[in-house]
Amino acid sequence: MFTTIFKHELKYWFKKPSFYIYLAIFFVIALFVSASSAGIFDSLTVSVGSSKIVNSPKNLNGMFNGLTILIYFLFPSIIGVSIFRDFKSEMHTILYSYPFTKKDYLFGKFLSSFLIVTLIVLIIGLGMFIGFRLPGTNAEIIGDFRFTAYLQAYFIYIIPNVFLFGSIVFATVTFTRNISAGFIVVVMLMLIQGVSESLLNDIDNRLISAMLDPFGGQAANYYTRYWTVAEQNDLLLPVKGVVIYNRLLWLAIAAVIFGLVFKYFSFSQNAASFSFKKQKAERVTKSNFGGITKIELPKVSYDYSFFQNLKTTWKLSNIDFKFIIKSWPFLSILLVGLIFILIMSISLGEISGTKTYPTTWQMLLYPGSTFSLFINILTFLYAGVLVQRAKVAKFNHLIDVTPIPNWTLLLSKFVALLKMQLVLLFVIMVGGIIFQIYRGYYNFEIDQYLYELLIIKFVYFAVWAFLALFIQTLVGNAYLGLFILLVISIGLPFLRLVGIEQSIFKYNQGPGYSYSDMNGYGAFFSSYMFYKIYWIFAGLVLLIISALFWVRGLPHSFKERLSIAKSRFKGVYKIGFVIFLVAFLAIGYRIYYENNVLNDRVSIKERELLQVEWEKKYKKFENKTQPRIVAVNVAMDIFPKELDFKATGTYIMINKSSEKIDSILLNHNNYPSTFTFNKKNKLVLEDTIHNFDIYKLEQVLLPGDSLSLTFEVKNKPNTFLRIHSDVKENGTFINNKVLFPSLGYASGGELRDDKIREKYELPKNELRPFPTDSTALGDTYISKDSDWIDFEATVSTSKDQIAIAPGYLQKEWVEGERRYFHYKMDSKILNFYAFNSARYEVKKDTWNDVNLEIYYHKGHEYNLDRMLEGMKASLDYNSKNFSPYQHKQVRIVEFPRTEGSFAQSFPNTIPFSEGVGFIADVDDSDKGGVDYGFAITVHELAHQWWAHQVIGADVKGATMLSESMADYVKLKVLEHQHGKKKMRKYLKEALDDYLKGRTVEKKRESPLMYNDGQMYIHYKKGSLVFYALSDYLGEENLNSAIKKYVEKVKFQEAPYTTSIEMVDYIKQATPDSLKYVIKDMFETITLYKNRVVDVETTELENGKFQVDIEFNVSKYRVSDKGKRLYGDKVGDTLSYKTEKMKKPIMSLPLKDYVEVGVFYEEEIDGEKEEVELYLKKHKITSINNKVSIIVDKKPTEVGVDPYNKLIDNNSEDNRREL
Amino acid sequence: MKLIIQNLSKTYKNGVKAIDNLSLEIGTGMFGLLGPNGAGKSSLMRTIATLQSPDSGTITFGDINVLEDNMALRRVLGYLPQSFGVYPKMSAEELLDYFATLKGVASKEDRTKLVKEVLEITNLYEVRKKHVAGYSGGMKQRFGIAQLLLNNPKLIIVDEPTAGLDPAERHRFLNVLREVGTNCTVIFSTHIVDDVKELCNEMVIVNGGRILKQTTPTTCTEEVKGQIWTKVIERDELELMEANFNVLSSNYNQDNTLNIRVHATEKPAEDFKEVIPQLDDVYFIALKEDEANLVSE
Repeated sequence: MFTTIFKHELKYWFKKPSFYIYLAIFFVIALFVSASSAGIFDSLTVSVGSSKIVNSPKNLNGMFNGLTILIYFLFPSIIGVSIFRDFKSEMHTILYSYPFTKKDYLFGKFLSSFLIVTLIVLIIGLGMFIGFRLPGTNAEIIGDFRFTAYLQAYFIYIIPNVFLFGSIVFATVTFTRNISAGFIVVVMLMLIQGVSESLLNDIDNRLISAMLDPFGGQAANYYTRYWTVAEQNDLLLPVKGVVIYNRLLWLAIAAVIFGLVFKYFSFSQNAASFSFKKQKAERVTKSNFGGITKIELPKVSYDYSFFQNLKTTWKLSNIDFKFIIKSWPFLSILLVGLIFILIMSISLGEISGTKTYPTTWQMLLYPGSTFSLFINILTFLYAGVLVQRAKVAKFNHLIDVTPIPNWTLLLSKFVALLKMQLVLLFVIMVGGIIFQIYRGYYNFEIDQYLYELLIIKFVYFAVWAFLALFIQTLVGNAYLGLFILLVISIGLPFLRLVGIEQSIFKYNQGPGYSYSDMNGYGAFFSSYMFYKIYWIFAGLVLLIISALFWVRGLPHSFKERLSIAKSRFKGVYKIGFVIFLVAFLAIGYRIYYENNVLNDRVSIKERELLQVEWEKKYKKFENKTQPRIVAVNVAMDIFPKELDFKATGTYIMINKSSEKIDSILLNHNNYPSTFTFNKKNKLVLEDTIHNFDIYKLEQVLLPGDSLSLTFEVKNKPNTFLRIHSDVKENGTFINNKVLFPSLGYASGGELRDDKIREKYELPKNELRPFPTDSTALGDTYISKDSDWIDFEATVSTSKDQIAIAPGYLQKEWVEGERRYFHYKMDSKILNFYAFNSARYEVKKDTWNDVNLEIYYHKGHEYNLDRMLEGMKASLDYNSKNFSPYQHKQVRIVEFPRTEGSFAQSFPNTIPFSEGVGFIADVDDSDKGGVDYGFAITVHELAHQWWAHQVIGADVKGATMLSESMADYVKLKVLEHQHGKKKMRKYLKEALDDYLKGRTVEKKRESPLMYNDGQMYIHYKKGSLVFYALSDYLGEENLNSAIKKYVEKVKFQEAPYTTSIEMVDYIKQATPDSLKYVIKDMFETITLYKNRVVDVETTELENGKFQVDIEFNVSKYRVSDKGKRLYGDKVGDTLSYKTEKMKKPIMSLPLKDYVEVGVFYEEEIDGEKEEVELYLKKHKITSINNKVSIIVDKKPTEVGVDPYNKLIDNNSEDNRREL
Repeated sequence: MKLIIQNLSKTYKNGVKAIDNLSLEIGTGMFGLLGPNGAGKSSLMRTIATLQSPDSGTITFGDINVLEDNMALRRVLGYLPQSFGVYPKMSAEELLDYFATLKGVASKEDRTKLVKEVLEITNLYEVRKKHVAGYSGGMKQRFGIAQLLLNNPKLIIVDEPTAGLDPAERHRFLNVLREVGTNCTVIFSTHIVDDVKELCNEMVIVNGGRILKQTTPTTCTEEVKGQIWTKVIERDELELMEANFNVLSSNYNQDNTLNIRVHATEKPAEDFKEVIPQLDDVYFIALKEDEANLVSE
């Protein structure tokens, strides 16, 4: 019997067109995604270039699984429907009396539909396989075909997942006899997965998250998260440990679910149902026999007018609306969504474990935008449900013969959808406010909630509602319609991949918006709404087409529907259609005109070509000697209301070289500008595309001669669609690099990816030269056209704002509606400055005789004291350990988060984003995260030394002298504040970031002292290295070595210092026994693998405890080619193997000092605190080590390198709890 | 007001000719459409009720050109399909109010008045607050009548309304229908001959999308007076009888003998008895003739 049912089901599917439609859709999507990742559209859009192999096992698995996610939405209509079909057709009334067993029936149904799904999944694999190899893909980034990789993805991840989700959906639909229930379950499962992933993202939760991820992705990630690019390209995904446990766990869960279905399913006629209301049993009798009624209907008036139909629309929409909000798919998604909002809110804007205050914009941004996804799914779903509602209830013929026009019916569905969306949007507000109350935040900005939700977001969703109704009307099957809508909405952004970049060609796309406390929503409204009006007209066109295709009466073939639509296309429909279409096209043209005619639009592809052209044309000028800028004096006028700026300025330049200079290469931007030199010249080249001009001087500039350039720069007039300046209504932050011209060729605009460069016949990108190249030390890494400059600026803004530039305020005055500030710097600075303007409050303090000021946005007072403390601590540490502070003032200047989440140190002025400290809700208890406002302040202040005093030459390793040092100072200050014991969380986080950074390295990782500006090296590894070094050498010893170095190189002129010079100073302070540390940490990439193997504690007679610890120490080096090296020369590799081990542990030769620690937990004031019983560096010469330590108290934890001071590729096995 | 159908044809995608060049005039009063299952009754009625469009032909009702201006017809149309469902969790009162709105009753007051009246006519007033989805078959059919009354229709189309009703419900239903139909055109399809006999003043017999006979229940039985004969036979003789005579129907008696009715202008054999013609006989005669035509075609 099983075979009969099984075969029958398969036959059913093989005959169904939708099966082939699904196959086709998935095949095409897989083909598209894989081919585009392999660069097939390189001729249309930006080249895909990278050192990553796109079909490496890891990538393949990710892509395969990612594409499979869409299939889960089909489960209800494939797996769920297998049984549901029998209920729907009421076949079950007959079928269930037939002589087959539960086993035959359930297995037959489930396995057949399961097979169908696996076939559809298989086509994805096929699509990918072909996609990677389509002609036109870039063979360089495609590896060999590895059948095992496909097999692994398919059998280890996808099939078990299909089984798990399939059985859940099968169970749900079988018991509820409701397809939408199955659908809801799918949505919920995805949510739960998303929530658990974001909740368990913490380093410490990785194992749990690896086990709990039902998709198994986190389990794979558990092993692959630190894989370098070379390893990602090469290695197969591991099938071991956590991966196996995860798979077994979820397979077991799936089996249990299916078992439950098996156990509780019975061939009954009615669905399992439960109700909270007790039904009263009543005996029903009839009493209405016979009797003829005299019929006299009351006289009423009938109204078929347009106006009455509109009223009817409203009334009908209410009925549908009530139906939606009472239906349980809606209620359950709503409930899950609400829970989701609250869960998302918990980790709201968390940075390094520290939360922020739950400001309204954050409530709207994080939980709000995730909830948006639900609103869209519900819109898509209910559009279909409403369109099909009458038909499903077999009610349609009664309605269809009433004199109600089609548009009234259709419009009422649309209005009902809008009402549903409004309810959901309102829920975001209620959820947000509830959460704010829970967090004790009572600044309810109801107006902001209403504005964003009911105006900005509502329009967005309404536009989707048009499309949803259109698709659902055409398709006539709510779940197929939903699927198509999901594919459209997910797929639209990917149109970029085929070169469709302009928003006007992508439904409901347009400019976005983002909020900052300082600048509100910014100047987005007019352009945002203009695009939305554009899409609303598109929606109205779709609505009219929907009305034309609206099914009235019997179902028709598509051909019939087409001819009916044609016959309906007259009168009002025709007029409306034409008007809306014309409006749509007219607005579209207006936008197109603005973006393509009034302004140059550069597509991503064109930009790439321009980059190539730039390099090919002008690279030859790179080494052409230019005069150096020695003084800058600018007048910057900021117009916050008009969002305009106008700047004039003068550069004084001197020929510092020994050569004659005959022409000036001026590299500027595309702002309307004028340039005037004080010496006669001729413009011999004016490139208006690259904005690169060459002025030939009539008389050459002799060595030592000076030249001045006066320029005027302003922005193009703004339009309602486009703002041409970076000026903000409140919170302008612009630096000189984007505003003002520079001299000579700039290499920043070159393509970096070697594979793409090869395609355009450009030589390999050499990046920066090595520090050993003495000819390359002429420029700092900050600027190529200047050394140290005199700086003076007059900044003006509107009367109610304060404008800031580096330097000291000389004079402040008001002229009419404008306020002027004249700043002048009394010492030489780097050619690097910025302008800020906003309605600031000012908080002042002093440190010694230095004035400390914070210019902040009113309302952002929370962390000002912490920041002041950070300023003082950093000033203290740096001036005590390295050199005096060069200015008499430090200013922190807040800028809107929309400009970025960072702080940046300019001379005596530190613009600081409102997003990285001002609204942090710091928890000072042990459980609290990093006080990052404080930490960032320390770091940025340290840059006044480490960049603004000591600045490296523009060669590899330069950022070690600035970023690594600034971050080192940060760690040291934190250590002095909190004690050494608290450092582990910072060190562990930095280590994790370093290891993660390695995995996305596009070129090749370099040792710290030769880094090419990679953040994961200079910030993360750099800070760890210097911190560890201070531990090895002693803080004082290290710092005094660095102090000597600072004394030598600060404020030096070219040739500039390099990392080699600094490391030499450090080497001098390093004993020979520790020289290996310098080699490991600075000169090479060396990673430890340290772990505790075994611990035993015995209580001794004298009440003390003996702790026997067995631990392994090993380290390896990464070669220039990315290979792991275990020896310096042939034959010196250490190796260790026990019987249980399959492979030996190998290591570089060891003469290393590694810390061993023993700890116990003490309760102090009710808080558990860790106390060191023992902490000492042991000299390690072999991989396997056993030490015996006697301590006073019963230990609770031991560790090797317990504070994670060393670069270790697994920070979790360094400690062992007892 | 007269409903005039001319040369109406409709062929479905699967090749079935549901309506075959059909012309018909229907005046005021109860009009019966009698025909076996699949005769094209529903297709015809749905076409008149604007639910599907014919391939060719015209339909006018009074001065309304139904196919051109279906809205005009819908205003005066009451339609009760063969089977229908309703939205769950809505009471009769709510649903009728919903329909009244759809049918253009603008004022709330009017609707309340009207709904109350139709509920009383159909004897559903007592259960007006109950969900219609939970009604019994008869109650649901009466609800169907209630909703079609709401626009005070001039043309009422009811498709096999009595199928599945118990005798009392059926009786009651027909009474209501008759009362409703006094001043307007009611088209009433059924395969139950008795329904037509009891109700209709005019009728057609349809099969295969064509009209086999247009008549009235009384005249048609008059027409075949003296032509219907009956005889009690053994079960085994039936085939022989069918071969020799135009056997219209055969019914078992309790003793397992058969009672056959035969159509013949002359007494077919000695042992046949003349009986008073029933509408059934006319119906079967028409069907048989049609069958014979088909064969000869």
